[in-house]
Amino acid sequence: MTAIAAVQPTTSTVQQWWVLTVRLITPTLRNGEVLTQVAASIMFTVGFYIPLKQIMGVFAQGMSSYGQYLMPLIALQAIAFAGVSAAFRSATDSVQGINRRFKAMPIPPLTPLAARMSASIYRCCIALVASLVCGHVIGFRFYGGVAHAVGFCLVVLAIGAALSLFGDLIGAVTQNPEATTPILLIPQLILGLLSVGVQPVERFPKWIQGFVRDQPTSQDVYALRALAGDSTPAAGAVSWSVIGPMLLWVLVFIAGSILLHALVSWRRR
Amino acid sequence: MPSTDNAVVVDGVRKTFGSVVALADISFKVGRGEVLGLLGPNGAGKTTTVDILSTLTRPDRGHAEVAGHDVVSDPAGVRQSIMLTGQQVALDEMLTGRENLVMFGRLQGLKKSQARSRAKELLGQFDLVDAADRVVSTYSGGMRRRIDIACGLVVRPEVVFLDEPTNGLDPRSRQSIWELVSDFKEAGIATLLTTQYLEEADALSDRIIVIDHGRIIAEGTAAELKERIGATYCEIVPRHLTDLPAMAEALGSLLPEKNRMALTTASDRIAIPAPDGPRTLAQALSQLNAANIDLLDIALRRPSLDEVFLALTTENTGDTSATRVERIEAADHGAQYVGRHRKRTGDTSATRIDAGVF
Repeated sequence: MTAIAAVQPTTSTVQQWWVLTVRLITPTLRNGEVLTQVAASIMFTVGFYIPLKQIMGVFAQGMSSYGQYLMPLIALQAIAFAGVSAAFRSATDSVQGINRRFKAMPIPPLTPLAARMSASIYRCCIALVASLVCGHVIGFRFYGGVAHAVGFCLVVLAIGAALSLFGDLIGAVTQNPEATTPILLIPQLILGLLSVGVQPVERFPKWIQGFVRDQPTSQDVYALRALAGDSTPAAGAVSWSVIGPMLLWVLVFIAGSILLHALVSWRRR
Repeated sequence: MPSTDNAVVVDGVRKTFGSVVALADISFKVGRGEVLGLLGPNGAGKTTTVDILSTLTRPDRGHAEVAGHDVVSDPAGVRQSIMLTGQQVALDEMLTGRENLVMFGRLQGLKKSQARSRAKELLGQFDLVDAADRVVSTYSGGMRRRIDIACGLVVRPEVVFLDEPTNGLDPRSRQSIWELVSDFKEAGIATLLTTQYLEEADALSDRIIVIDHGRIIAEGTAAELKERIGATYCEIVPRHLTDLPAMAEALGSLLPEKNRMALTTASDRIAIPAPDGPRTLAQALSQLNAANIDLLDIALRRPSLDEVFLALTTENTGDTSATRVERIEAADHGAQYVGRHRKRTGDTSATRIDAGVF
């Protein structure tokens, strides 16, 4: 029969990882996902900056501009949006049965997840670049030198990776692409609004200040604000006490997601 | 290449999910180039069997080998040798048909140029050239199924698992999948076909295994299974139902006492054993003619695989009191493989089943 070839080639994990990554990136260039990602960054910038500038601007804790104050939150919201996309793809793969097929093929078990994470990092890069451009337009600048600017970008990507890994987990658990968006978008909005990203912690009612200060979005904002710097000293210094809690949150998120991933795939055996 | 003649060996496999026993104790073999039909109702354990053989699930007990590789100790070897198509199409629907084929080729180690030329070949053979550069989500059901199977054939498999491959397909698409199965056979590829369509198992399989509640309840060729349920019988339908007692009278010794007893006022036909085939029919016809009884239909029948299946699966529930007619009617409610004969009192095969052949 001619439909059946006789070759039995050897497989390479790197080639498989690359092929699976390209498979996830290719459609984003056709179905408008890249544009959506860029549009989301613009939307977050416009949606927070224009209405809040007049009200909150005065309370920006003595920073040079509200744009400088708001930038970390814009970057975080854009990144979180990438996490939602990751969840959507992961759920789509689960429900379409392609994961099952990959598992029955000579592909190491973690390669599809690694490929999905690579594609997520690619989405995060788009989100980061788009939000930096938006930030530039509203007056955001890096004041801390190249090292701190690179640090800012790496931290955003690390948070993006953690959120994508978590999103991927949600997608794999629910196996329902439509359900992933509300599951992830609502906490993202609540944590974004109840954070020091839009206004200082003192502006919140007393009873909720503890939560606002310690929750991950705020800790991320503190770290990113310090790394971005400012023409005034109000952005805070880059120190372990500022960066440490953020790193801890990222590690907790990544470790927790990996653990749950392992649990989910073990239970499905 | 392993030297064994069997492409698939399953020996005493058991699998439970919590307290649910999916497979109680299953053993069978599939030879190279053989098509084995795995037949059973929903939840019988068909998909669990396929999952174990394709290394997606581990057996709790027992031993299974695919193309000479143990599914537990050498899953990588198994995965190199199989092709799996599930009940749903498992492709990247956001990619085109061609991109999917190239992707599966590359995943199995083909170089880019090899994967591309192989994709082109397969698109031609599966009649998908015109749709090659459209995204799979726009394909029709038959086209999806074809590209799904084509993606599994980029590299030659030793064993093919077709899990209900024609579910929901139109007759023409179904035909093309059936032709493909014969191609596998010619190429010496072993095929394990799970299906609920008896017609399909009958047409394609060399051998059939009937599985229910995680156990094999019958095994053999389609002809053998039909034979086990009951031999040929002659079915006679009178034009006027009121003629039935006269008919029973006229048939004399052709109608065994047991069948005669089973006749009720609800009966609309009589079935008699036809050990001599056409000769029995001719004899019955001449006796009925002599008695001047007008017939609507008289025919030789062999039990259909539908009936075999229903008989076997209801047999397995351990219900011994019900007559076969009741069973068939009970199974009618909601079962999709409904037997063609809704009522047949006095059927010879009924007594055979009740005697507990299995």
